[in-house]
Amino acid sequence: MDEVALLQNYLVVGAFLFGIGLVGFFSRRNMIVIFLSAEMMLQGVSVSLVAWGRFHNNWGGQMLVIFILTVAACEAAIALAVVLTLFHKGGSLDIALWQQLREDNQPAYVDHEVPEGDDAEKRWPRLTPSGIEPEPDLEDLTHRAHV
Amino acid sequence: MNQIIAMTAAASLLLAFGLWLMLPRGASVGRSLGTLLVAVSLGLFASQVPRLGSWANDAVFLILAGVTVLAAVATVTFRSPVYSAIWFALSLLGTAGLFLFQGAQFLGVATIVVYAGAILVTFLFVLMLANPDGHAFYDRLSWAPKLSAFTGALVVGILTLTVAGVFQNPQSENRPKELIAAAALESNILAEQHMAHMGAELFSKYLVAVEVAGTLLLVALVGTVAIVAQIRKPAHGGGPSHG
Repeated sequence: MDEVALLQNYLVVGAFLFGIGLVGFFSRRNMIVIFLSAEMMLQGVSVSLVAWGRFHNNWGGQMLVIFILTVAACEAAIALAVVLTLFHKGGSLDIALWQQLREDNQPAYVDHEVPEGDDAEKRWPRLTPSGIEPEPDLEDLTHRAHV
Repeated sequence: MNQIIAMTAAASLLLAFGLWLMLPRGASVGRSLGTLLVAVSLGLFASQVPRLGSWANDAVFLILAGVTVLAAVATVTFRSPVYSAIWFALSLLGTAGLFLFQGAQFLGVATIVVYAGAILVTFLFVLMLANPDGHAFYDRLSWAPKLSAFTGALVVGILTLTVAGVFQNPQSENRPKELIAAAALESNILAEQHMAHMGAELFSKYLVAVEVAGTLLLVALVGTVAIVAQIRKPAHGGGPSHG
């Protein structure tokens, strides 16, 4: 196998994973998806490290990836604990709830457009009518619990 | 070289537009167009990098890399966090395959084992906490989708160009001069007894780092328990408005 070409291919894949994780980290608002994006950036770096290790015929790259795995496990535990705490305090996974942590000179973020759900989600299921229609219970219809 | 720069710039622009169209922006218009643009851009990038030498190697690598990158794109663009987690798991499987293809067998398996646990826990969290179907409004909106998509594509483009410039320019001073012979690789990093070599290296040269990593795991464990224990205490005027 052409080792230089192999290294270059792997570096490009690593760049892709890092860049896409960056996009997710910057733009998504769900705390869990942000966490997944951060893990994806770590994966991109790992791919590059393994490729460099093979190119130099050196174990250093793979050793670093082992320690990246360790740190990623610690990060997962702590990140999920923090997400759980924030969810208990804020009642939502939206990261915008915590925007008072921004810098002093930054304007507050306001949702200008809150999108409605898709039409497909508003449609209720319809059941086929079957059997005879039951007699309406007059007493039940006219009963008023709170008068 | 100029042709490579032009192609990479075009591919990065396509990637940026595709990512922008795919990110949740309230309306779901143009998602399929965005997917198409991203796929075309990936094809352009794939046509730029050199081939590995034999068609079988090329095919295995391109399939693994394509699965990895496309699943990564799907992870950041799907609205439902449950689907994001599933796509991330697929992306990890692709990465593990790439590790195996490089001969890093232990890392391939360890990635699956460690991250499968992490993904499973994430999954449980999503199911436990909120709106797994992506019905929440914050799953349909992004912060500055245009800017972040262009930033990400710019990073990818610049990194790819740098790599191509170093490796394909014969006059470049940074170009690797001599290649390591295949025999040397097979006696060291591609040796038959992979785990024995790796363990010997890990527990001799990197022994201090292993100890530090163990301490780090312990500290993270204690820290997690300390953080979660805060929830049980009575809130001191908590809530997002007071911090």
